[in-house]
Amino acid sequence: MEKQMIISVGREYGSRGHIVAKRIAEKLNITLYDKNILKEIAQKNHADYSELEKFDEKPRNKLFSRRIGEFSSSMENEMANIQFEYLRAKAAKGESFVVVGRCADMALAGEKGLVTIFICADMEKRVARLMEDDKLSENEAKMTILRKDKKRKDYHDEYAEYEWGTADAYDLCLNIGDMDIEEAADFIISFANFKLKGIL
Amino acid sequence: MLAAQIMAVSIFLVMFVLIVMDKIERQWVTLGCGVLTLILVFGVGLHSMTAITETLNVKGIFTMEFWHISGQGEESGSGINWATIIFIAGMMIMVEGMAKAGFFRWLCMRLAKLVNYKPIPLFIAFMVMSAILSMFIDSITVILFLAAVTVELARLLKFDPVPMILSEVFCANLGGSATMCGDPPNIIIGTSMGYSFFDFLKNTGAIAGISLIVIIFYFYFVYRKELLKNEDEKIDPSTLPNPKEAITDKKYFIMSCIIFGCAVALLITHSMTGLTVAFIGTFIAILTLICFCRHIPELLKKVDYKTLLFFIGLFMVVGGLEQTGILEKIAGFIGDVSGGDVKLMVAIILWISAIASAFVDNIPFAATMIPVVKSLAATTGVHPDILAWTLSMGTDIGGSATPIGASANVVGTSVAAKNGHPIGWGKYCKTAAPATIIVVMISMIFIFVRYC
Repeated sequence: MEKQMIISVGREYGSRGHIVAKRIAEKLNITLYDKNILKEIAQKNHADYSELEKFDEKPRNKLFSRRIGEFSSSMENEMANIQFEYLRAKAAKGESFVVVGRCADMALAGEKGLVTIFICADMEKRVARLMEDDKLSENEAKMTILRKDKKRKDYHDEYAEYEWGTADAYDLCLNIGDMDIEEAADFIISFANFKLKGIL
Repeated sequence: MLAAQIMAVSIFLVMFVLIVMDKIERQWVTLGCGVLTLILVFGVGLHSMTAITETLNVKGIFTMEFWHISGQGEESGSGINWATIIFIAGMMIMVEGMAKAGFFRWLCMRLAKLVNYKPIPLFIAFMVMSAILSMFIDSITVILFLAAVTVELARLLKFDPVPMILSEVFCANLGGSATMCGDPPNIIIGTSMGYSFFDFLKNTGAIAGISLIVIIFYFYFVYRKELLKNEDEKIDPSTLPNPKEAITDKKYFIMSCIIFGCAVALLITHSMTGLTVAFIGTFIAILTLICFCRHIPELLKKVDYKTLLFFIGLFMVVGGLEQTGILEKIAGFIGDVSGGDVKLMVAIILWISAIASAFVDNIPFAATMIPVVKSLAATTGVHPDILAWTLSMGTDIGGSATPIGASANVVGTSVAAKNGHPIGWGKYCKTAAPATIIVVMISMIFIFVRYC
């Protein structure tokens, strides 16, 4: 790839956003960053990954955390910040990559090669998918989606100045409910290419 | 008066809630609430210009007693405690100079080398060093350097740094309780009630000393298995750091050692020399700036002005509670509940201070409680010293129980997390909460036996 391309993918729970992001990375032959960031950090520090994962993509508990300058007792904050730094360092090195969630759209704001995408899907389709894949009842699937989306929104909105999932905050918001994975991945890659070439 | 009291309490509660919510930086919260206190409580409620001047307390700075006391230490009036603010600012400048010279990193590395990088001796040595350094230097700085070196050594020696960091944090809070300059609540208590460095050392210092011995054994038994997990792993000696490399400039290093020595000597002898902590802070700051004259802007830039502004606003808000007689009412309530029984009074102050400090910032709590303690002593006839030492131990030690109780805890857990070792509430409280209860119990028994 000639120019640096960083595709940040925000996604609703159950929308298949993660699968699409993975397919984009495969098609472009670039790295996909998701939970593997914390896995790498844990490995580097001889730490237990499950200890780090507990605080990943979660909002800070405002009542039970305290901040002193750059130091925070909120482990959710700290895990977010080390991932932001990790991504910024990768971007500064000129690496092209796809990143899922992690409020990367905010963390990497200002990077020349950044394209921010938000993937959503209709509620019925997401519920149906969870019922089939995770063998949940309709009510359980709906509750899981609402809970997970709220957590993602709270986490994102803690760091970003704009709300999670609002159209004007992203370069592209895409409802992929009626698309298959290949179509969605190709569409996003074409869009990213157009954007970086200045056509859009 | 009633309207002024309601306004004073409302402003105080709003301040506390805003501090806990952490949406607005805490110094703006206290300063904003402080200005509201001056306007609404003193201006609109009390129509008292005297209350405003007493709370701002600026006149005091220009008196001789502010810088030098002949004879017994005097209690300061209400309002902004400028002596505390000037002393803390002076020590901040000194600490920045020491950090620039590489003093703290050198000390940590030197000690690690001295114990041959063996996990258990290292664990004990760092706990003791954390406690001793915190007697003179703010615990944030102590933990900032100790935790960073602990993580670095843990990576090289392949041990889990979390047990060591948690023990260091606890000992920093414990060491801070031993002296007048160790922890902000003690500086406020000392300057407000006219105590010297030695007064603290003889009283809270004795409790902290006994507690430290018990706590070293406690943490050793709790963590020994985790620390010895990778004991047999072979370490390449060439990867171990050389303490000398920590020193950035030999000249500055020597000067910062001398300045630190001066600060310790002045603090230890201040009851004999009559020099106040405000004088010591100013002197040490000037001395540091002279020695590091080429780096004056850098050192001044690193001073934590936010904390100093936080203190100023806080004292104004507490001044509102004091001037409107709210704190006397609280004192009266404690006096009534205890029925004049000193032991019950000590137990109430100690445990309430400890529990409150575990969840809210212990500095506003201590600043609020000092007038309460003074009033309680005046109305019940209990010696104010007993209540002062009780308040000091309660606020200093209570903060150790949770990750948010004291600044050192926040810095320690944050440094660990930044290096891939997050410490949640469960992991923190599992060992720190029982340790806190042990030390509060020791404090209570000590105060009962020695003073009651």
